[in-house]
Amino acid sequence: MGFRNYLLKRLGYALLVLFIILSLNFLLFRIMPGDAVSMIMDPKFDLATKEELRSQFGIDQPIGTQYIKYLKSLLSFDMGRSFNTRRLVWDELKERLPNTLTLFFASFITTAAVGISLGVFAAARRGTFAENFVTGAGLFAYAVPGFFIQLMLLMIFGYYWPILPIRGTMSAPPPPGAMAQFLDRLWHLILPAGSLMVISFGSWALYTRNTMLEALGQDYIMTARAKGLDKKTVLYKHALRSVLPPILTLIFMSLPGAVTGAVITETIFSWFGVGKYLIDAVMQQDYPAAQGAFYLIALSVIVSNLLADLAYGLVDPRIRVGGGAK
Amino acid sequence: MSKIRGGNGNNVAQEPPKKLKKVTFWQQYRRKPLGMLGLCIVVVYVLAAIAAPIITQYDPTKDLFLADNLAAPLWMKNLSEKYKDAPVTISKTVDLDGWNVTEGADFSITKTTYDEEDFMLIDMPAASSSGEQDPMMEILKDIYTPEELAEMFGASAAAKTSFSMDFTFPYNYSPPNTFNFTFDYAVEGSSPEATTVARLLIISPSGKEYDIWGMDAYGDWPISYITVDGRDVPVKMRLGLGFFDDPSKIILSEKGDYKVKFMVETDSSTGAKIYITPVKINIPGLLHGILGTDHMGSDLWSQLIYGARISLLIGLTAAFISVFLGTTVGIISGYVGGAVDEVLMRFVDVLLAIPSLPILIVLSALLGTSVWNVVILVAMFSWMGTARLVRSQTLTLKERAFVEAAKASGATDGYVMVTHILPNVMPLVFSALVLRIPSAILTEASLSFLGLGDPRVPTWGRMLQNARGFGAFTVMAWWWLLPPGLALTFLSLAFVFIGNTVNEILNPRYRERS
Repeated sequence: MGFRNYLLKRLGYALLVLFIILSLNFLLFRIMPGDAVSMIMDPKFDLATKEELRSQFGIDQPIGTQYIKYLKSLLSFDMGRSFNTRRLVWDELKERLPNTLTLFFASFITTAAVGISLGVFAAARRGTFAENFVTGAGLFAYAVPGFFIQLMLLMIFGYYWPILPIRGTMSAPPPPGAMAQFLDRLWHLILPAGSLMVISFGSWALYTRNTMLEALGQDYIMTARAKGLDKKTVLYKHALRSVLPPILTLIFMSLPGAVTGAVITETIFSWFGVGKYLIDAVMQQDYPAAQGAFYLIALSVIVSNLLADLAYGLVDPRIRVGGGAK
Repeated sequence: MSKIRGGNGNNVAQEPPKKLKKVTFWQQYRRKPLGMLGLCIVVVYVLAAIAAPIITQYDPTKDLFLADNLAAPLWMKNLSEKYKDAPVTISKTVDLDGWNVTEGADFSITKTTYDEEDFMLIDMPAASSSGEQDPMMEILKDIYTPEELAEMFGASAAAKTSFSMDFTFPYNYSPPNTFNFTFDYAVEGSSPEATTVARLLIISPSGKEYDIWGMDAYGDWPISYITVDGRDVPVKMRLGLGFFDDPSKIILSEKGDYKVKFMVETDSSTGAKIYITPVKINIPGLLHGILGTDHMGSDLWSQLIYGARISLLIGLTAAFISVFLGTTVGIISGYVGGAVDEVLMRFVDVLLAIPSLPILIVLSALLGTSVWNVVILVAMFSWMGTARLVRSQTLTLKERAFVEAAKASGATDGYVMVTHILPNVMPLVFSALVLRIPSAILTEASLSFLGLGDPRVPTWGRMLQNARGFGAFTVMAWWWLLPPGLALTFLSLAFVFIGNTVNEILNPRYRERS
């Protein structure tokens, strides 16, 4: 009962945020000097052609009608045509979405795996070099600009020892054979995903270490130790099991950050994803494209926020069982 | 804040113990090594920002072509074989005093100005007396009068007046990528049918002559701006080189004293006035300054130093605005409560749910890229955390006795908020401010790196963007990448250290939050 209410509340809230972002998106691109049509219009066009274009883009209608039309079209992913390529923005985004998702999942899984295991490792070896390394890495992740690390990695592995491809998602003529193509894509994935892992595993490791240490200080661990259980069992069966829920929540809570963080990574490694599409569109003042890409990114952030809320609700017994208000 | 009075044991015994316990913030702070380290780093940056014009003599963006593009730092010649003999920019202007006249030393050579420019005026007398003469002409001269000779051979009778001058410059490096000479040149007072031939030659230490420029003027010649560049195709053609040959690599392949020779020869019967500005010679170096140059030949060291100004300015201002907004919203929301609290906090929730980097990208592209837009945008999307923190603190303060007392004695809400709540949230606000600075700096750097910074302002993010976009990778110019990145890293680390230390001292209860 309580959980259902909680979920409904979160869902309603996510819809509200979505609505606000959509309205913002609508307003922002309409306060621009000159309307969308003036971007592509040739001054040589006669008045009738201009009017024709305006009505094609729907700009001749009152702003309220435009707004409702805009909301309706976005719900069906109709984002208009790109000024540059004259193709449907959604078609272009659809081509790029798999790339972004690949990069996202690859980096996310490696980061979580490396971060969590290093955190557990550090907690198990308190006061050793391993722990100092993890705390250092956590601080590093907070203070060092990620794109700088990525640039350095690109310089080292792309140019100094040119062992990894420096740009793109696959080789220009793709190698023959499905297996070769898969390996080729994997090959291109190493640097972007690996560098994302390098810049963000620190905060994961630090968080895991802290929660683990907190758990290791609890009475039941003392009891387990007193029972004479060996170190490993205490660490993995008792301590780790109890910190898994908060870490799971963290996984979902860092989803939105990972979604937006991909924008810079995609730009640095010329990864043909949604983030690079947004930057390119913004740079070329291709407003429908920028609007569409921003909408997609915002949508994914909202969805991942919702997932985080869901995970949080599932993990936190006060919410799951009911009664607990946020 | 009062300081502990230093004293001997007697005094301590006499003074009430309360005074001893009162330790100033600074006394606590200076015992924290990390905090002090952070402070020292920030002081260094601030000094660099203030003294930027003293530390570097170049303007970071306006001084272009100080050396070849992507020149390496000077110290690279000790580290790398590739740069061992690499040239350092040679740039000099040779005026009248610098030239050594070798032919026609008896001509009147004066300095003059025209159109606010300095010129050398070489007054070449009519062709007859001086210069080498054709022996045949000598014989003819004995037979005919000059008028008859002119009739027979035209004014340009074989008689010619020549003038030449040269200067030497040492060149002890490996060949550069190019060289160039610039000057203005004009001929005046020549008879209309006469030819005045000018040449510019480079004579290598081993005596090879390279004819890099020439102009045959018929009659008078208006002032023309001459630029001779080693990459120009006409230069290659004059030298008889192929299209893909590089004159600078061929001409400047020797080490030693090079001679630049300027020659004029005229057959004008009325003489000729040659105007020539001081010749500017420029050989862009492949080594330059402390950090080399960027793709426009601008000094990277000055960009780095001036970048500290911008980063500090943007970081501090954005953090200040952000924390100011957050504090205001937090206090009002916490103190007033009710519907106001609900609305403000939901607004905060919504803002937190908007992906900040993408919206910053879209907004800064829409609003235009200026430093102040970046500052305001960064502030607008970063105050929410402070607001939540301050609100929760306000909620507990609101219930405290002194607030109740103030309210009971008739203080207005505004008065209570400003005089009672605000001073008590200040410690929290202060550490939030310090910790907000590094993220503001890094956000600005990311935006600049993505090309959304102010194009007129040298920032570290833009240096990194240029490094990526204009070939730092292909020449392994790590001196272009590393300094701005490390500068950003150390500055933000310093603020994190300071912020954590301040937090530890002022808000021991909130230590976990940062």
